[in-house]
Amino acid sequence: MAWQIQCTASPPPLPSFPPFTLKSTSSISLPLPLTRSSRYRSTHAPSPRPIAASFSAVESTTSTDGLGDSKTPLLEVRGLTAVITETKQEILKGVDLVVHHGEIHAIMGKNGSGKSTFSKVLVGHPDYEVTGGDVVFKGENMLDMEPEERSLAGLFMSFQSPVEIPGVNNIDFLHMAYNARRKKLGEPELGPLEFYAYIYPKLDLVNMKTDFLNRNVNEGFSGGERKRNEILQLAVLGADLAILDEIDSGLDVDALRDVAKAVNGLLTPTNSVLMITHYRRLLEVIKPTFIHIMENGRIIKTGDSSLAEVLEEKGYNAISAA
Amino acid sequence: MAALTFTHQNLLHFTPKLTTSKPYLKPKRTKTKLSIQTIRESPQASFTDQFVLQLADSLEDSLPSSSSSLPLQKLRDNSSETLLSTQWPSRKDESFRFTDTSFIKNSDINPISHPPNSLDLLEVSRDTHFESFNFVDGFLVDSSFSSSNLPDGVYVGSLSKLSSEGILKRVCELLGDFEWGDLFWSVNGLGAPDLMVVYVPEGCRVENPIYLKYIAVEGADKGSKKMLLSNPRVFVLVEKGGEVGIVEEFVGKVGSECYWTNSVLEVVVGEGGKVSHSYVQKQSLSAAHIKWTSVRQEKTSTYELVEVSTGGKLSRHNVHVQQLGSDTVTQLTTFHLSVGDQTQDLHSRIVLDHPRGYSQQLHKCIVAHSSGQAVFDGNVKVNKYAQQTDAGQLTRSLLLEPRAAVNVKPNLQIIADDVKCSHGAAISDLEDSQLFYFQARGIDLETAREALVFSFGAEVIDKLPYSFVQKQVKDHVKALLKSRRKGSS
Repeated sequence: MAWQIQCTASPPPLPSFPPFTLKSTSSISLPLPLTRSSRYRSTHAPSPRPIAASFSAVESTTSTDGLGDSKTPLLEVRGLTAVITETKQEILKGVDLVVHHGEIHAIMGKNGSGKSTFSKVLVGHPDYEVTGGDVVFKGENMLDMEPEERSLAGLFMSFQSPVEIPGVNNIDFLHMAYNARRKKLGEPELGPLEFYAYIYPKLDLVNMKTDFLNRNVNEGFSGGERKRNEILQLAVLGADLAILDEIDSGLDVDALRDVAKAVNGLLTPTNSVLMITHYRRLLEVIKPTFIHIMENGRIIKTGDSSLAEVLEEKGYNAISAA
Repeated sequence: MAALTFTHQNLLHFTPKLTTSKPYLKPKRTKTKLSIQTIRESPQASFTDQFVLQLADSLEDSLPSSSSSLPLQKLRDNSSETLLSTQWPSRKDESFRFTDTSFIKNSDINPISHPPNSLDLLEVSRDTHFESFNFVDGFLVDSSFSSSNLPDGVYVGSLSKLSSEGILKRVCELLGDFEWGDLFWSVNGLGAPDLMVVYVPEGCRVENPIYLKYIAVEGADKGSKKMLLSNPRVFVLVEKGGEVGIVEEFVGKVGSECYWTNSVLEVVVGEGGKVSHSYVQKQSLSAAHIKWTSVRQEKTSTYELVEVSTGGKLSRHNVHVQQLGSDTVTQLTTFHLSVGDQTQDLHSRIVLDHPRGYSQQLHKCIVAHSSGQAVFDGNVKVNKYAQQTDAGQLTRSLLLEPRAAVNVKPNLQIIADDVKCSHGAAISDLEDSQLFYFQARGIDLETAREALVFSFGAEVIDKLPYSFVQKQVKDHVKALLKSRRKGSS
């Protein structure tokens, strides 16, 4: 628990680095500016609700790693390259990214720039094969871990288009996943009734009715319901790092506000978010600490939230040309 | 008489006996049977199948000596006549191309000639949680069901105890009137010791389902060649506007391994009537289970079947639905599971001859053993006058082990020109994207596989209309899948 105390007491702000542009050929060897950036605590738009409770399971997971030093990154990606398993076509061509506890990062970029691939590679999707680089999560080499181990270690990805699982009840699925987590922590598994009591209050968070739990996982869900369901899973399971892959796609304004509200409600000073999006409107409701621009399998530019405005005005071409 | 000079290794158990009163050696051919046409060309064709002859003989011997009521006697006479013109099915017969019945043929078949003793009965009625009508080794025994729970005019019970002349006449008209039967249909017709009648009069809606429990008490040990045969038979007649739910459950008593249940259910649904049929087969994994379900539907009637079959070394369900009038609704939803060295076979046929019929069929099967097999032959026939028929058929199979086999033959035969029909077949392992979704939430692969396999069948199990049946079937399927997991690890 020691590290938590240290984290919640924010470190003194360090001088902010100017927006940094990578030269396309030498990305791997370059030192990253992010590791020493200050935290834009004020941009978090913290929720008034007492959110820490919803992350109870996760706090225990993180406390085991003994990370007392806030300078130790939560996630450190260096020179990550990956190909499509089937065709061997290279999609990621050397991605570098460092995420600290409590930071919110957004990755933007054109279609096909590798944003979603990056998030899938992080969670170990079998469609992609890592060919080089390192991914260290909470001090451990994540590339050696099975997808379920990554999840249990505190990594969560909300799927862009989550798959339908006919015949598997939503509550049964959540129950199974939650108990897997408890088992990992050496805690007794919850029975169906205890679990129901645990999950019931969380439905409000994503603005969902109870019957939502009795439907089959994602079966016949509308686009908005699928996204809410992903966020509900995040609320139930908790995560040190939540990767939100286009949670804004296909949502109307109201649904987006609901989803964003839920995500903001789940934020704590210690957990981090990596958002992948096309649109600035998401960044207005979940305020990022950093924005990264991805192009052709690399992060080509990193900046603060003002970068989104530049994008809005001048488009991606202005950035890649710079 | 020439037939008797043939010897066959399977006949060694038998002492053939001919009685002059029966027209054994005058086979009558049924034109519709393709199998007979082909057999005619072979040198042995003109002779009665010796094995079948023996079987017919032993069935006759097993019957109670007391005189039977008229409909049953008529059924036996017809069946015995048909049986003697029928050969034991071989892999050359189209309808048994993938289903090897030699396992039964190579056994020493003993028809059970008497109901079990009262001690066994006591045991049977004890483990029934729901008021049921019990067939024990093919004999209808006094049940725990009190008929006072039934609405007026409804009759559920043995034909021999039926006092109403009117119902008897109706049963006599309709019983066994069926041209599509095979050898097993006839074996039951000849060997059924009794007939159970479920009669629902006009406009009557029976609230509680009629729960029929078929229990095999006598059974030989796994190693022995002995196979004890029972032939339960039920006739359901729902008159105009009547409604009833039928639940059939087939089980073997613990310790009974080798037996052969050869069951027939006939259903006639009158105009606007509805029959909801649940069929659960949980026989021993060494047993043979053959079942016929023949349904005749008059106009605007509804027949819904939900089947879950998990037992039997050889399990075969023949379903035949014949449309007798327009605007009928037919739904067949079936799930077969082979967790061992088993064959699960569904042969279904829906014949539509009248306009605006609606039929939907979903068949799912899982083969979870390297020498397990599933067979599906689903025929939907949309004849000339069946215009504006809406017929759909889908079969999905899951093969979980190397060398596990499935043979599916979904087929629509459409002669009418103004119809909406669809069919499809899919055979697969589990979906990788679904497995990954579980993993991404921290659930290990083995647990994910188990959940997905179960959910595949749950789609059908969830359609069982009664929650008490649903629950026990779910528990049973879960236990079977779990035993498989333990066995393989």
